[in-house]
Amino acid sequence: MSAPSVVDFPMAVSPAAAAALPPWPEVVRWLRAPERRHAADVLRATRRPFVQPRCGVGDHDRMLELLGALEQAGPGLLSVTIDSHTRLGRFDTAARVLRERPADLNGYPLPAHGWERGRDLVAAVGVPLEVRHGSPEARDLFAYTLASGITSFEGGGIGYNLPYCKDVPLRDSLESWREIDTACGELAAEGVLVDREFFGTLTGVLMPPSTSLACALLEARLAADAGVRCLSIAYPQSGEVYQDTAALRAITALAARYLPAHVEVHVVLHEFMGVFPRCPGCAEALILFGALTARLGGAAKVINKTTQEASGIPTAAANARGIRSAQLGLSPLLDFIALDEGLIAEECGWIQREVAELLDPVLEGGDPLSRIVSAFARGTLDVPFSASVHARGSVVPGRDARGAVRYRDFGGLPFSPAVRAHNDSHLRRGRPDLLAVLSADINHFAAGRSCERCAADPTWRA
Amino acid sequence: MAEQRLVLLGVAASDAHAVANRLIAMHLRQAGFEVVNLGTCTPLPEFAAALRLHPGAEAVLIGSLNGHAHADLRELPDLRAKGELRRPVIVGGNLAVGQASAAEAERRLLDLGVDHVLRDAVELVPLLDSLRAKVAV
Repeated sequence: MSAPSVVDFPMAVSPAAAAALPPWPEVVRWLRAPERRHAADVLRATRRPFVQPRCGVGDHDRMLELLGALEQAGPGLLSVTIDSHTRLGRFDTAARVLRERPADLNGYPLPAHGWERGRDLVAAVGVPLEVRHGSPEARDLFAYTLASGITSFEGGGIGYNLPYCKDVPLRDSLESWREIDTACGELAAEGVLVDREFFGTLTGVLMPPSTSLACALLEARLAADAGVRCLSIAYPQSGEVYQDTAALRAITALAARYLPAHVEVHVVLHEFMGVFPRCPGCAEALILFGALTARLGGAAKVINKTTQEASGIPTAAANARGIRSAQLGLSPLLDFIALDEGLIAEECGWIQREVAELLDPVLEGGDPLSRIVSAFARGTLDVPFSASVHARGSVVPGRDARGAVRYRDFGGLPFSPAVRAHNDSHLRRGRPDLLAVLSADINHFAAGRSCERCAADPTWRA
Repeated sequence: MAEQRLVLLGVAASDAHAVANRLIAMHLRQAGFEVVNLGTCTPLPEFAAALRLHPGAEAVLIGSLNGHAHADLRELPDLRAKGELRRPVIVGGNLAVGQASAAEAERRLLDLGVDHVLRDAVELVPLLDSLRAKVAV
């Protein structure tokens, strides 16, 4: 018997994964087959934004049913959302729960099922799949993803570390993602374009746009340097339409400035990621609003939400309905809706300036990976509400009177006096009772803002 | 001078949701508690070790928003049998995957030895006060 093919893969995978997976040349042959449809092809062909749902359940047959049900709703891509045990590399726990009570898994444990079943998922639907997860170190999962025939993979060393785990050093996560990106470069040379998506949503709550874009662009830059050719940069809807439109448009301008000219960049909007309304009507309105924002901002795709968002992972029916609600927001019927371009341009200018003040000190110097690690240690890069001890988490965000997300406390961010003054002109800083103010900002949409019943009684629960 | 009240706080092992954890810590500190916050992704043995280090803690508060509460807390009976975590264990959050019944998820956690399951963080301080009153009697 030959030894496990660890050396075959262009990145380090565990001996267990190497033993379970087909040899690398066979993976490449499978991916290169002309009948494969790739996420990159869908992204390139898109004219109006398309909708992509999250979806993942533990049991394989139920996952096949879920994908089939959601395909009926007409998404541009479908997701394989991975469970949190697998995300943290606890493959054994995921396998045990899969055996004992698959319904207890909050996603699809791809390694526990194996790559052959991954290929079943791909074969079951007519649209390409993306693997979405939250793994700080994802080399094994990426190997299973490729062996399954899936060529779209979310994550990066910042956005899949700081929000998703407590104590994985940034250097470790960034170096492991560099191996993934290097493998994408090798595949590109073989003619297989892997779409790599960066999770600018970060911790998902009150994310200042410049923090989101700076982190995603740093990951995109490292990925491009490692050989990735197809990059998707995702931004989370704040819920203030001028700010969101400006942030989405800023992505293209910032990519031109910070990324090499030979890469392609796709803009992604995450529908509102914070506390969702429990009222189904208000939730549906928020979903439609998010999609409309994506159209105004020129996004390629929308990662959508559902009316059951407030109470956990949605049923297939609710998820399909969420796709259709988002499609209504993208409809040409609403193309008459336009915003004040002057306000957008002003907001867009400030966002780009803030991002530049965060990125330039990191990128002007030696090895960007090391400089990212030290910037987070110093607090000159930071994220609010960090799950990880490897970011300071000393930045405090807040909403201004319009609902736009600003910096309530800059922490150690190296902003100029002009940026600080502009921010402070929108949001008075240092208000007392931070808990009450933060809770109100976080719950901005929780009581709904669109139906009379919720307006009259914010505590009403559907 | 009033005695300083102390609680241990953290998020279950497979769960990285930090926001509610931070807000609850802020809320408890405003209510006068000293909070040892173990943060996200905290396995039960880490709670047990923290309790050995802070034996004055009056309760162990565990948040779980990703639906994996049961799998993340399944070592509780073993740890209790070894004499660990002998304080009220209070769990709150979104406790089961999907749209499953909250009552069933709550029952399974109580069967595991969790002492109290809360649906809303505002119930936390009143519960801690009532537990303390019982101890005082």
